[in-house]
Amino acid sequence: MSALSDLRVIDLSTDVAGPFCAKLFADFGADVIKVEHPQGGDQARSIGPFADQSNPAESSAFFLYLNTNKRGVTLNLDTQQGVFVLRQLISAADVVIESFQHGTMERIGMGFDELQQLKPGIVLASITPFGQDGPWREYQATDLVEFAASGLSSVNGLASREPLKVPGFETYYQAGVSAFSGAMTAICYRDTGGPGEHVDVSILEAATTIFGPQILAAQHSGRSPGRRNAPRPTGLFPCKDGFISLNVRHEPTWRFMWLFFDEPEMADDPRFATQNARRERNQELEELLMPRLAQYTMEELFHGLAPIRIMVGMSLDAGQIANDPHLNERGLFVESQHPVAGAVRQPGAPFLMDETPWEIRQPAPTLGQHNREIFTGMLGYSPRELDRWRAQEII
Amino acid sequence: MAESESGGHSLPLANLRAVVLTQAWAGAVTSMLLGDMGSDVIQIEALERPDPWRGGYAPRLSGTYANNDPGARPFDRNANFNSVNTNKQGITIDLNHRKGKDLFLDLVRISDIVAENFSARVIPNFRLEYPALRQINPSIIMLRMPSYGTFGPYAMYMGNGGTTEPMSGISSLLGYQDGPPMNSGVMHTDPVAGMFGYASLMIALHYRNRTGYGQLIDLSQQETSVHIISRQVMEHTLTGITPIRRGNRDDLMAPHGNFPCQGDDSWVAIAVRSDSEWVCLCEVMDRPDLATDPRYADFAGRQGHVADLERAVSEWTSGQEAYAVTARLQAVGIPSAPVLKAAEVLENPQLKARGFFDEVTHPDTGTYRHAGTPWRLANSPRRPRSPAPTLGQHSVEVFHNLLGLSREEVVALIESGVTGETPAPEE
Repeated sequence: MSALSDLRVIDLSTDVAGPFCAKLFADFGADVIKVEHPQGGDQARSIGPFADQSNPAESSAFFLYLNTNKRGVTLNLDTQQGVFVLRQLISAADVVIESFQHGTMERIGMGFDELQQLKPGIVLASITPFGQDGPWREYQATDLVEFAASGLSSVNGLASREPLKVPGFETYYQAGVSAFSGAMTAICYRDTGGPGEHVDVSILEAATTIFGPQILAAQHSGRSPGRRNAPRPTGLFPCKDGFISLNVRHEPTWRFMWLFFDEPEMADDPRFATQNARRERNQELEELLMPRLAQYTMEELFHGLAPIRIMVGMSLDAGQIANDPHLNERGLFVESQHPVAGAVRQPGAPFLMDETPWEIRQPAPTLGQHNREIFTGMLGYSPRELDRWRAQEII
Repeated sequence: MAESESGGHSLPLANLRAVVLTQAWAGAVTSMLLGDMGSDVIQIEALERPDPWRGGYAPRLSGTYANNDPGARPFDRNANFNSVNTNKQGITIDLNHRKGKDLFLDLVRISDIVAENFSARVIPNFRLEYPALRQINPSIIMLRMPSYGTFGPYAMYMGNGGTTEPMSGISSLLGYQDGPPMNSGVMHTDPVAGMFGYASLMIALHYRNRTGYGQLIDLSQQETSVHIISRQVMEHTLTGITPIRRGNRDDLMAPHGNFPCQGDDSWVAIAVRSDSEWVCLCEVMDRPDLATDPRYADFAGRQGHVADLERAVSEWTSGQEAYAVTARLQAVGIPSAPVLKAAEVLENPQLKARGFFDEVTHPDTGTYRHAGTPWRLANSPRRPRSPAPTLGQHSVEVFHNLLGLSREEVVALIESGVTGETPAPEE
C-alpha cells in the first residue's frame, strides 16, 4: 500500500512550485487530478528542453518531470460549466493545490470557507509569490526576484561585481516542498481529529527561511554578510581537470591532508598552528595548497581525501551528475515511457522510504488525457456531453 | 485530540515526540519544523562533541557571537546554532557510555520519530540502526539524512553544504559567464534537504496513522539538491549539451538580472518574461526607441542583444533607489525586487506586514528576530517560539520529569560525565 493512497488531490496549479507540491503527493501514492486550461495548459509545457520538437507542449522534459503520476483533465474555469464540474471534483477530494493570483479562488466561488462547505475538512494549499495578504500580495515574481528579496543573492558572487542567483528554480522548489509539508501536516492533524486548513505559502517566506542563520547573524554582529573578495572568491579550488571544495582548517583533517600530500611535517608549520591561524592566514594557506592540488584530478583528490575523513567535493556538471556512479548505484535516475516524448530519464525518488517506496506508475499526462476516464467514468457525464463541452471550449 | 483544554485548537503535531540527533543545519531544520508544528523535540548532543554549529567550546573567528562577544559560554551565543534550534529541548547524552545509550533507548521507547544527519558511519558505530530501534518501539519512524545517504560508494564520506553544492551540480551552474564555478555564500542545500526531510516524515506519519507501521527513511542531501536542478540534468540527458554558467542571464527571459542602483552595493532585480513586458519596461524607462526597435521585439532578439539591453537598463536604474525602481515596475506588472542584504530583509515591508519574523528572547544573548515557518495554517495559530537550548539545558528536566529518574540517579549521571551542561575539557 502506498503511503498516500487514501488521498485525492486536485491540482489547479501551474509552473513549478504548485506542480512540484502535487508531484510529491502523486509520487507517494495519492490520486492527483491535474486540471489544466484547455488552451495550452500549464505554462511549464512551454519550457524546454523538448524531446520532440514537433510537439513541444507534450514533450517538455521539465513538465514531464514535474507532473509524474498525475491524471490530467482540462477545464475552462472562465465558464460556469467548468466551475461546476470543478466543484464536483473537489467535493470528492482531500486536498486542493492552487497558485492563482491572490483572490482568484474567491472570485470563482472557491475560497477556503466555500471549499469547507463543499467538503468539510478539506485542505487548501495556496502558493503565491508573496503570500495571501500584505502590501506586495499583487506583486509579480520570478526565481530571480525571490532570490533578491530573500537576501539569498546578496552573498553570491564577487564583491566587485553584481550579486548572483543560483540558476534554476530553487525558491520555487522550496515553496513547493513547503506547501506539501504544510498540507501534509494538516492531513496528519486531520487524522487525529484536526480541522481542515488553508495552507498559505509565500515563496518569499519559503526562500527567506533558507537565509535564517544569516538574518540572526546580522543582528548579532551588526553587519550583514556580503560577497567574497579575491584571491579565492569562489569557495572552490582549481585542480588538474576541474574544481573541488575543500575544508581542512579543523584538526585532525589538517594533519590528514598533509599525510595525503606525503609531507606530514608540513602540518607542524608554526604559521598555521591553530584553526584560527589558518583562517587568518587564509591567503598564504591557499598559495601553499594550489600548486599541490594542481597535480591531481578531481577524482584523485575526492577518493584520496574523503576516505581519510576530509570534507572534499568535486564540482560536477550536469552530465557528470547523470553518470555519477554513486547516484546511479542508489538508483536516483528512473526511466519511463511517455506516449509522445518516448523514453524519459529523470531524477526519481527524492528520498528512500523502506515501507512505502517512491514509484513511477505513469508518466505526466498529455493535455486532457484523462477527460473521458474522469468526467465519464468518475462523474458519469456521457461521451456526447463531453463532445458538446469540447465544442464550447469548456474542456 | 484537536481541542486543547482552553477550548481552542491545539497545535497540529501536539501529540508527537521526536528524539533527534540532528546537528549543524540540514537536520536541525527538519527538527525545528517539527517543533514549530507542535511536536516535543528533544535534541541530543554529547558533551564530548557538541553540535558543530555551536562553533566549538573555545571562541572561533568564524563564530557570529551576540554583540560580537563570545562571553563565558561562546557555544550558547553562536548565531548559527541559535537560529535553527528554536522550539526544541536540548539535552546531553554520551552515547558511547552504556548508561547513556540506555537512556537514549528509553527515549526512543516513548517517542514517535528519530532523526539524525551524522555521516553514515556514526549510527552503525553506536549500533543504533533502525532494526534495533524498531525492536523496542515497533511504530517508530526513523529519518537518516547523511550527505550521500546511508549506502552506495560515497556513503561513508563526510560532507556538508560546501561539498553537497558542487557534488550536486549546482556549483557548476553558479558563476559569471566568463568565470569559474562557484559555491554560494550560504550552504543553501542544507535547509532545502531539511525541508525535504520534514516532508518525508509527514508521509511516514500519515502512513503510520493509517496502519500503525513506522519505517526507515534514507535521505541523501546530494540527491535532494540534484532534484532542484532536474531541468538542467534532463537537458543534458536529452540533448547532450552541458548547461553552463551565464551569470544572472536566463534562457527564457531577457533582460533578466540585477542592475546597479543609487548607493553603495545597491542592486535591483528585474525579470522581463514576455514581449509585452518588454514594451512596458521601455515605457517606464521612457525609451520609446527601444520599444519599437524590431531587433528587441521578441525574446530571441533580446537574448541576442542582451548586453546592449543590460546597458540601457543599468543607465536607467543607476540613478534611482532600488525600492523606487521596484515600485514603478511592479505597478505595471513587471517582476522586480531590491537585492536585500541580511539586515535589510528584516525591514522588508511585505515580510513585516505578514508578521514573518518571530521575536525570541534567549537567556544568554537577548532578544532577536528569527525567520518564521515557511507555511501558515489558517486554523492553527503559530506557537510562540522558544529560544534554542543552551548546552544541556533540559537534561535534568527530561531525565527526572520525563524518564522518571530519581534525583540521586540524575546526579550520578552528571558526576559520571554521561550528561551535564559543562563542556568536556578540550584536548
